[in-house]
Amino acid sequence: MTTRVSNPVITVQNLRKTFGSVEAVKDVSFNVEPGQVLGLLGPNGAGKTTTINMISTLLHIDAGEASVGGFDVRTQPEAVRQLIGLAGQSAAVDEKLTARENLELFGRLYKIPRVERRRRIDELIEQFDLGEFAERPASTYSGGERRRLDVVAALVAEPPAVFLDEPTTGLDPRSRSELWNTVRSLAANGVAIVLSTQYLEEADRLADEILVIDQGSVVAQGTPDALKRDLERDVLEVHVTSRADLDVARELLGFDESIITDIEARRIDIPIPDGADRSLDLLRQLQEGGVSISNFQLRQPTLDDVFLALTGATVTESEELTT
Amino acid sequence: MTTKDTPTNTRTVVTDPNVALRIRRASQDTGTVLWRDMIRTARQPEMLVFAVVMGVFFLLLFNYVFGGAIAAGAGFDYLQYLLPGVLVITALQGAQQTSMGLAADFTEGVNDRFRSLPMSQSAVIAGRTIADALRNIAGLVLVALVGILMGFRFASFGGAVVAIALATGIGYGFSWLGAVIAAKVRQPDMVGMLSMFWLFPLMLASTAFAPVETMPGWLQPFVTYQPISVASDAVRGLVNGVPVGDRITWTLAWIVGLLVVSAPMSVRLYRKVG
Ligand SMILES: Nc1ncnc2c1ncn2[C@@H]1O[C@H](COP(=O)(O)OP(=O)(O)OP(=O)(O)O)[C@@H](O)[C@H]1O
Ligand SMILES: [Mg+2]
Repeated sequence: MTTRVSNPVITVQNLRKTFGSVEAVKDVSFNVEPGQVLGLLGPNGAGKTTTINMISTLLHIDAGEASVGGFDVRTQPEAVRQLIGLAGQSAAVDEKLTARENLELFGRLYKIPRVERRRRIDELIEQFDLGEFAERPASTYSGGERRRLDVVAALVAEPPAVFLDEPTTGLDPRSRSELWNTVRSLAANGVAIVLSTQYLEEADRLADEILVIDQGSVVAQGTPDALKRDLERDVLEVHVTSRADLDVARELLGFDESIITDIEARRIDIPIPDGADRSLDLLRQLQEGGVSISNFQLRQPTLDDVFLALTGATVTESEELTT
Repeated sequence: MTTKDTPTNTRTVVTDPNVALRIRRASQDTGTVLWRDMIRTARQPEMLVFAVVMGVFFLLLFNYVFGGAIAAGAGFDYLQYLLPGVLVITALQGAQQTSMGLAADFTEGVNDRFRSLPMSQSAVIAGRTIADALRNIAGLVLVALVGILMGFRFASFGGAVVAIALATGIGYGFSWLGAVIAAKVRQPDMVGMLSMFWLFPLMLASTAFAPVETMPGWLQPFVTYQPISVASDAVRGLVNGVPVGDRITWTLAWIVGLLVVSAPMSVRLYRKVG
């Protein structure tokens, strides 16, 4: 019997996972179509790894649904495993085996016929430049080399769904851009990809759709362009002289969730959607209001701003509580 | 069985494998894991060396230090008594290594990948136990050779082969018990300690080093039927060419019992996901 793989390849509905009292994933939903790259963007502890591990059958799903190629992750994990390739956050290769032996091991376990397996492994070693260390045990590899082998290991069986958990962490710029090319060419071949990252730039370059998650919940979702339209505004960083100046300044600026106050550093970050003129206005307004400004700077937003802009309210509140 | 047409290529997704296919794939995976573990064993000869050194250590210690006392007045050649027991102990040492090795395996990253692969999860344990059993055979042969150098005489070649097979078999049964501990505890040093709890009492309160008659009466029933004793007695009979009575049957019963209880339990514990 032949059936077409259902569109989308990966579907996730209201996924949820708690570890004791930690709600690692609260409510995550998304779909990934063939040839699409979904970027999971979020700070440490956001729930990226937990999400990926649930879909790739490593972790039990507490609530919600996940399916790959139409197969339910919970009830048909064995079918799902035939369709996925996983490069987890920590390298999952056999340290005592060489790169070639590792690929041979995984190729056999995927039940790839011998001749095809050999051809595929040679091709991967060539394509990913593993040649220099392919015949050495993985325990002798540098962090980046091990990471590369780990990603390649996920691709041995040419799976239609690939999960890459922070695949470029620890890679040098050249290896990173090679990996980006790999992801693009996988997508061009119709593979559905879920990629987690802490780098906005990476998500921007690779993802068709970005899911920003924080503390287990989706805080923003959309194409990189749509998100950037929201987030890519300059930030006016104002340093003031005293704690009192900080309070006066907050008063003058009015309540706005997107304005971040760093009490320790006596600094206010004000997102400026429309450039320099507005900054001058604001600075003048602060000065006339009696705020003593020690320094200021207009800068591009960093990933911190993105996270803080999306989760800012809670951060400021907790800071105020502790000060 | 369903064939799915995926974007990259046409692949076959096995959705409802029948028992025959399951068994075939499980054996195939076991073979693959065995291949991997053999490579690892070859790259870590310390494990084999350690097992042999322990065996030789027991041979020397008991034969030259305690041998006189134990065999005093009994009027028999103690080495002929001792070596079979040491072979069984060596095999069990191998089982303990399975336990610690598996616990280490479970904490290694590669284990996460195994759990995301379309493979029989029991193969991870089965492959390892078989690799250890093969290493055990090598260890047993080496210990036997040292015994021969010390003056031990095998009654027959056939007896020696069956004896080593039996020792390997009881070691194999215990290696699945070790797998249960490993899958439950998952911390190599902790597992090492726990293995001591079953290995030491069984080893010392057994007929491996001294005849049952030399032990207190209340202990004798336990000593007579516990696995190390029955295996030691069986091996002893085989290598000395004397009748073994029910000892081989008891040994086989212990092996089967250990496998029937431990194998499903270890696989279930291993499969458990967080
Ligand atoms: N096995 C576990 N037991 C208890 N808590 C856990 C466990 N695994 C994850 N957590 C918690 O769940 C939350 C989400 O963790 P997760 O690893 O998914 O984050 P992440 O987004 O991948 O972070 P990072 O960028 O640091 O890799 C964290 O608060 C973490 O401490
Ligand atoms: Mg993570």
